[in-house]
Amino acid sequence: MTVLAEHPTDLAARQLFWRRFRQHRLAVFSAALLAFIAAMALLAPVIESAMGLDATRVDLFNQYALPDATHWLGTDEAGRDVFLRLLYGGRISLLVGLVAAIAAAVMGTTIGLFAGYFGGRLDAFLMRTTDGVIALPVLPLLIVLAAVDLEKVGVPATVAESEVVSLYRIMFIIAIVGWTTVARLVRSATLSVRTREFVRAAEAMGARPWRIMARHILPNVVSPIIVATTLSVGGIILLESVLSFLGLGIQPPTPSWGNMLSNAQELITRAPQLAIYPGLMIFVTVIAFNFLGDGLQDALDPRASRR
Amino acid sequence: MLRWARRVAVVAMVAMLIPAAAKAAKDELVIGISQFPTGFHPNLSSHVALSLIHGMTRRPLTVFDADWKLICLLCAKLPSRQDGTIRDWQTDEGKPGLEVDYAIRGDAVWGDGTPVTTKDVLFTWKIGRIPEAGINNQELYRRMEKVIALDDKRFTIQWNKRTCDAEAINGFEIVPSHLEAAAAADPAQYRSRNAYDTDPTNPGLYHGPYRITRVEPGASVTLEPNPTWWGQQPHFKRIVVRTIENTAALEANLLSGEVDYIAGEDGISLDQALTFERRHGDDYNVVFKPGLFYEHIDLMLDNPVLTDLRVRRALLHAIDREAISARLFEGKQPVADTFVHPLDSVHIDEVRKYPFDTALAKQLLDEAGWTDIRGGIRHNAAGEPLRLEIMTTSGNRVRELVEQVIQSNLRDAGVDLRIRNEPARVFFGRTVQRRQFDAMAMFAWFSSPNNIPRSNLHSMEIPTEKNGWSGQNYTGYASPTMDEAIDKVEVECGAAEQAKWWRTIQTEYAENLPVLPLYFRANAFIMPKWLSGVTPTGHQYPSTLWIENWTAQ
Amino acid sequence: MLTYLARRLLGTLIVLAVMSFVIFSLIGLMPGDPIDIMIASNPDLTPADGVRLKKLYGLDLPIGERYWNWLTAALGGDLGYSRTFNRPVLEILLPRLGNTITLLGIASLIAIAVALPLGFAAAVRPHSKTDNSINMFCFAGISVPPFFLAILLIILFAVTLGVLPAGGMGPVGGEGGVFARLEFLVLPVLTLTIASLAAYTRFARASMMEAMRQDYVRTAYAKGLAVRRVVVGHAMRNALLPLVTIVALDFGALVSGALITETMFGYLGMGKLLFDSILANDFNLALVGLLFATLLVLVGNFLADIAYAAIDPRISFKSLANK
Repeated sequence: MTVLAEHPTDLAARQLFWRRFRQHRLAVFSAALLAFIAAMALLAPVIESAMGLDATRVDLFNQYALPDATHWLGTDEAGRDVFLRLLYGGRISLLVGLVAAIAAAVMGTTIGLFAGYFGGRLDAFLMRTTDGVIALPVLPLLIVLAAVDLEKVGVPATVAESEVVSLYRIMFIIAIVGWTTVARLVRSATLSVRTREFVRAAEAMGARPWRIMARHILPNVVSPIIVATTLSVGGIILLESVLSFLGLGIQPPTPSWGNMLSNAQELITRAPQLAIYPGLMIFVTVIAFNFLGDGLQDALDPRASRR
Repeated sequence: MLRWARRVAVVAMVAMLIPAAAKAAKDELVIGISQFPTGFHPNLSSHVALSLIHGMTRRPLTVFDADWKLICLLCAKLPSRQDGTIRDWQTDEGKPGLEVDYAIRGDAVWGDGTPVTTKDVLFTWKIGRIPEAGINNQELYRRMEKVIALDDKRFTIQWNKRTCDAEAINGFEIVPSHLEAAAAADPAQYRSRNAYDTDPTNPGLYHGPYRITRVEPGASVTLEPNPTWWGQQPHFKRIVVRTIENTAALEANLLSGEVDYIAGEDGISLDQALTFERRHGDDYNVVFKPGLFYEHIDLMLDNPVLTDLRVRRALLHAIDREAISARLFEGKQPVADTFVHPLDSVHIDEVRKYPFDTALAKQLLDEAGWTDIRGGIRHNAAGEPLRLEIMTTSGNRVRELVEQVIQSNLRDAGVDLRIRNEPARVFFGRTVQRRQFDAMAMFAWFSSPNNIPRSNLHSMEIPTEKNGWSGQNYTGYASPTMDEAIDKVEVECGAAEQAKWWRTIQTEYAENLPVLPLYFRANAFIMPKWLSGVTPTGHQYPSTLWIENWTAQ
Repeated sequence: MLTYLARRLLGTLIVLAVMSFVIFSLIGLMPGDPIDIMIASNPDLTPADGVRLKKLYGLDLPIGERYWNWLTAALGGDLGYSRTFNRPVLEILLPRLGNTITLLGIASLIAIAVALPLGFAAAVRPHSKTDNSINMFCFAGISVPPFFLAILLIILFAVTLGVLPAGGMGPVGGEGGVFARLEFLVLPVLTLTIASLAAYTRFARASMMEAMRQDYVRTAYAKGLAVRRVVVGHAMRNALLPLVTIVALDFGALVSGALITETMFGYLGMGKLLFDSILANDFNLALVGLLFATLLVLVGNFLADIAYAAIDPRISFKSLANK
């Protein structure tokens, strides 16, 4: 029992996991779909050259074209290929979703581990902070954060003025408000694990706190982290799209699903399809991440009911 | 439970099917705009929505009309040298100035019956001269050395600068001293205590055909006829100016009849209007009025790449402005050759033109030494890529689109254009004002007719740290020829001199290209068929200044 | 109970005070200031005027001093002036707050009223067809971008069918009574409801299933009580508890949702005001607006605690205080 708990990657456990996961058909399908979307997005440049097109190529004499053999989903208000722009937008949305979710998970895990392991005042302080962050109205705060002048916080002008800064900024600000769920989960899991015999034994043998947290506790709290992180990716993609939609996220010419939708809004009576495509992509991706998270939860934590 | 759910659904459906409110009666007009004024004081807030409203509630002394001619509204007669009302004068320091007599119309009264007098003029001038009061148009008041009341209606202004357009005092908005004097007792508090903002429905604040009777902040301003108005009686018994910031919603409100008319001064974007015209052109009159919105790209002339005139010319040849105008704006926004609008009386057509010609652009770039093409991008002998950065206000969809067209155009000529946009407050507040843009900054100038381009083209107006970043010559353009022409056009008032210097200014501008001209923006006025008498002006004085001509049929 | 309330209140005030400083500093980090914008938009203002105006508004002081000045003034009841409206902040904010509360209130009530029966219906027969379709609906509801939903609703009801206004607030000054305004509320409320509805339904289902697993419910079944009585009489009451917490905690999300919805539909609420004021660097308005939003969330949490105790008499205020 102890062995198994210490090494959840054990073969039997893994087989059990796969068996349970496969039962959740929607999750399996979602995983496949996400893999497909990610592959398409990653291969965007290859697909681009295979199609003989250029995603940034403006053609004012071919605006709002309907789908045909060359432009599979037609063209936008500048005559650019919508399909390719969707792929490039997908790169950004997925990148932001994954990086910010992982960054938030790392932050949350660290905070949760410390709070749960050391307890006492540190725990009280960290958890009050967590409660405080949870109580914040997230979106207005993100808007303020997105508007912060990087040069005023000491970021060198060369970095603050680079083209990709909006990308890093949005990952960062989403991560610093998104860590709370994982922190709470990890803390409660840590609390229950730290009284177990193998942790006690390690402590008795004089292992340092770092080592105990890394070697003995972390592997045992990994499942809730994975589930929470997967579920959060969807939420983050939504948040990124909202911010880009409000003009505060990813800046043109870099396409993201959010700013493509934002652009399309004013053209809604003329070319509603330009709003539908990116909207559907966001929807499909987010729902797939939610199903995937749901499936992982069922597979990793069979006692918890499907929620 | 199911039955209950069904009932909810039925109620919801019924609620959805309640028809749109009945169309407004025709003695009422609802004007839709996309912004709400930032305060109601004509001299503390300069906002297009406010100028639209005050066009109905107030009358400036002088103004440009729809034919771009200067006329009197509140004044009795335009001063002139011929009848001796404009005279040369010298300041105490001996600088050349002017002494000009103006007169307020005899029958001008405020909405509470108090006559508009020189008392109000003196009050307005005094408060304008106090820095703490925070009045906007400081330059105007700095130039008004002294104002002397001759009697109740006539006054003299001593200008400390000699200019050719002293008959125009368009920006001098008179406010009622009998209502405002108390608030101005402490000038530092004037901004928050003035009656326009604390009591905007006070009839005594207005002297136009209408007065404000109700204000819902952020939503609407209601106007009703001003009983003391001296001119022709306006047709509408009530005018509501409604603000709907989401332009798609504004359009939908027009279609549902909640709004009668979308004002071009502050309405929906041009391409939105074009789509609207295609769909609903039979039911509305859509008028496109090209105006004095000059869209252009300021070039950073300190950038070594752009100091080369051949590169500047190549850039303009490489941009397909004709296609932008034709395809994005259906020709409603004509390509600009210089900053002077074709409708302006000083405009000349014989300037150097830059038609779209990629081959010529390539040739010019070759000549400038950008010959080594690698991966489609030109490099010079030192191996530096021809890479430039363009900036504009983020969130402005049309500008961002044009930017991407330009990026694509320039790449065809081998120029690697990078886009980096900033929110308006950073872009204008810092980047442009402090000349921190790398190569290109795209924005618009909004001006009045015959506007002398001193602040943006004279070499004394280059913002530097030393002069506290004052001036608007953001490109850093310094040309003795241009400087002379600007200095002269301000003071040599004869017709021949004027024509000569204006010609120099325009030719010089087109030859040297400190700025890449793009096009003049047009405004779209969407009117119901029954509304007549609306004459768009195309400059900063709104069509509502002639509201008494508007009728319903 | 009074001690508990006092402690909670104190806690809330501390959070609010900390937040006010954090928000104050953050807003101070936004680029430019209102005077810079004023100069940029008005060619006649010289930088000398700018320096003068900055001094006039105290914008040249260090941040700590500025915060202290603001705090003392705020505690004295002076929250300052909105720069974009040139009016006292509260005069602008309060009517908007009222509009937002109307919107949020209607949306939450509908969401709760629909979510409870849906969630319970799903929980009673897990993995049935009903449950699966409700589950699908929930996943869809939490996955759809709210602004996309708004756009879809606008396309359908305002553009294609033309039966509902695409935005706005209804006739000037509330003329035409409630009904004239009602049609302007339908789409915003619908947009806002769907997201919360999905989330609430999921929680309702989960907590109901948890409750149904409890021994006393099984006992009730065993005693032969009708399904309906078991569900209504026993399980539901217990399932309500966690739900109350969730709804209260969800207030923050609702405020965020209101921001998007109001912006999309041109609804004059606090969310839109907040967004506009941040974009326009309307320092005072943004600050007070953000604090109001935070306060709204904190009050929501506070009420949840009280409701918690009210629904379940077993939980005393004393035990909550030690939580």
